[in-house]
Amino acid sequence: MEKTTAKKTTKIDIKGKIVSGYVNHVLEHGYEPVSVFKFAKDLKMKEEDFYNYFTSFDSIKTAVWSQLFEATVESIESQEVYREYSAREKLLSFLFTWIEELKKNRSYLLSLYGSKKDIKSLLPTEVKIFKSKFKDFANEIILEGKETEEIASRPILSDRYDDALWFQVWFVFQFWLNDTSPAFEKTDAAIEKSVNLAFDLMGKSALDTFIDFAKFMYQNK
Amino acid sequence: MESKVKEQQSIPTSKVQRAAKFISTGAKVGGNYVKHYAKKVVNPSMTKEELHNNNANDIYNSLSELKGSALKVAQMMSMDKNILPRAYQDKFTMAQYSAPPLSYPLVVKTFQKYFGKTPESIFDTFTKSAVNAASIGQVHQATQNGKKLAVKIQYPGVADSVSSDLKLVRPFALRLLNMNEKELDHYMEEVEEKLLEETDYTLEVKRSKEISKACSHIKDLNFPDYYEEFSAERVITMDWIDGKHIKEWLETNPSQEDKNRIGQALWDFYHHQVHNLMQVHADPHPGNFIIQNDGKLGIIDFGCVKVIPEDFYKGYFSLIKRELLINEDELNEIFYGLEFISDKDTPEEKIYFKGVFKEMISLLGKPFHVETFDFANNEYFEQIFKLGDRISNDKMFRKSRQARGSRHGLYINRTYFGVYNLLNQLEANIVTTKPEWLE
Repeated sequence: MEKTTAKKTTKIDIKGKIVSGYVNHVLEHGYEPVSVFKFAKDLKMKEEDFYNYFTSFDSIKTAVWSQLFEATVESIESQEVYREYSAREKLLSFLFTWIEELKKNRSYLLSLYGSKKDIKSLLPTEVKIFKSKFKDFANEIILEGKETEEIASRPILSDRYDDALWFQVWFVFQFWLNDTSPAFEKTDAAIEKSVNLAFDLMGKSALDTFIDFAKFMYQNK
Repeated sequence: MESKVKEQQSIPTSKVQRAAKFISTGAKVGGNYVKHYAKKVVNPSMTKEELHNNNANDIYNSLSELKGSALKVAQMMSMDKNILPRAYQDKFTMAQYSAPPLSYPLVVKTFQKYFGKTPESIFDTFTKSAVNAASIGQVHQATQNGKKLAVKIQYPGVADSVSSDLKLVRPFALRLLNMNEKELDHYMEEVEEKLLEETDYTLEVKRSKEISKACSHIKDLNFPDYYEEFSAERVITMDWIDGKHIKEWLETNPSQEDKNRIGQALWDFYHHQVHNLMQVHADPHPGNFIIQNDGKLGIIDFGCVKVIPEDFYKGYFSLIKRELLINEDELNEIFYGLEFISDKDTPEEKIYFKGVFKEMISLLGKPFHVETFDFANNEYFEQIFKLGDRISNDKMFRKSRQARGSRHGLYINRTYFGVYNLLNQLEANIVTTKPEWLE
């Protein structure tokens, strides 16, 4: 992971060329190039040069995912109103914008992931960087939510909130892949509703009060 | 104007969840009946009214969580005051004012989708939370160049859920409205068509402009301007109408003269639409009428417009003539035309239904039989309610296997009941104009 980020800063151009070459290939053929050799040849570069930037096609896919993430964050942070948002609204804003970024690459994503029955088992390596970046982002939101008391701190459980949000991102992605409603309206509704549910579950609820009360009764028996 | 609605914490998502919501209400309503009869054993003086009250509470609570078209149906039912028992009415009237708002990021997204810009970059100011809920959308307030604007935004996916929502409401409507299934389907078809139209905001802007232009000459009326450049399939931008709703306005103790003036403006508005334009603002619920500070009546929301077919119009309004002036043959022809009776009826049924409809029509047509009519007269409304109650509980009606009344009548009746009710609230004395051919 460190390797790729280090390279990115130095040789952005060739890296970008490889990524877009790969995406184009998938778009036009519907599958990935047969070999690195063939792919490098099409890009008029030597195979060994390719390895200076990427070790395999998987690492290109990884780069695409993290590019999508970066573009999303950049776009939401450019909206002035974003800073005024509550934690709940920040996550909503992230997902709505992220879906817009995905939309630009829908064909690419569909040809790679559309036919797969169970995406979860396939993805770990390809989305590793995206996942860790998203979790950093999510933890920031969670921390903020805890400060404003939108989110309740619970022992053990609250350390896993970022995983829950990550799971939600996947839910939205899968929903979107299968969405056939015009302008993906249903995905919008799915985001709205699932985020509300997630935040309601993380927020202070009757259950917390109940546990507190039960504890009190137990200790004073 | 500022109605703070509590942001709803969760919206039932899928059809399954929605169905579950309805089932739990069904169970509760059933439970209320059991409770009612159990209590009645102990205390025979307990009234049906109390039972209706409990039911209305439970049904309203679940409907308000569903929003969208289910809410719309609740509104519709609250409009048809003559059909519903009183306890239901009060609860459902609440539905007209409160629905939970959607999140701001989704508003931003909707704007970006249709205009490629955020609301802040289009308008000088834009409220982050909704200031008002419309039944299938929410209203934000914006300003531009010092002008106050209302921006209505539709909830995503409403159009898709209309049909499935109506299917869910069906069993309740059957129960509440005391209708048989055939009759209800007849009713639901028309409702579905109208609801789908209401989700089309482009059509709404077009109609709003058309009708407000055609009615601009009527005294004491005011219509907002609509801004097409900031309107789209799911967004409508129009002038903000400042003022008070009828209820609030009445609290300021306006003079009888003012009440008559506003009432007359309302009457003239509907007269012109029905008899000259042949299309009518079919949603006369109190939220759509605002009395402005300069004493004019502001009218908004042309989402629900009923176009009146020519032959239906002739038949329907001929009945308004004093019954004495119509002979039996003419009447029969009209009743057949409006599908009140048909060849499938037995002679006995024909006589019964003709009698009932004649009674109904002469009652509803009463304001037209005189030069001026005092809508403050509660006795008149009492009579209408009583007749409605009597009819809906009558065995002949419930046994009848077919739908009665042309489907076009649904919205026209609803419109007239709505207008009558508003005028009753206003306690206005109205010059009840009629078209020349009915004089």
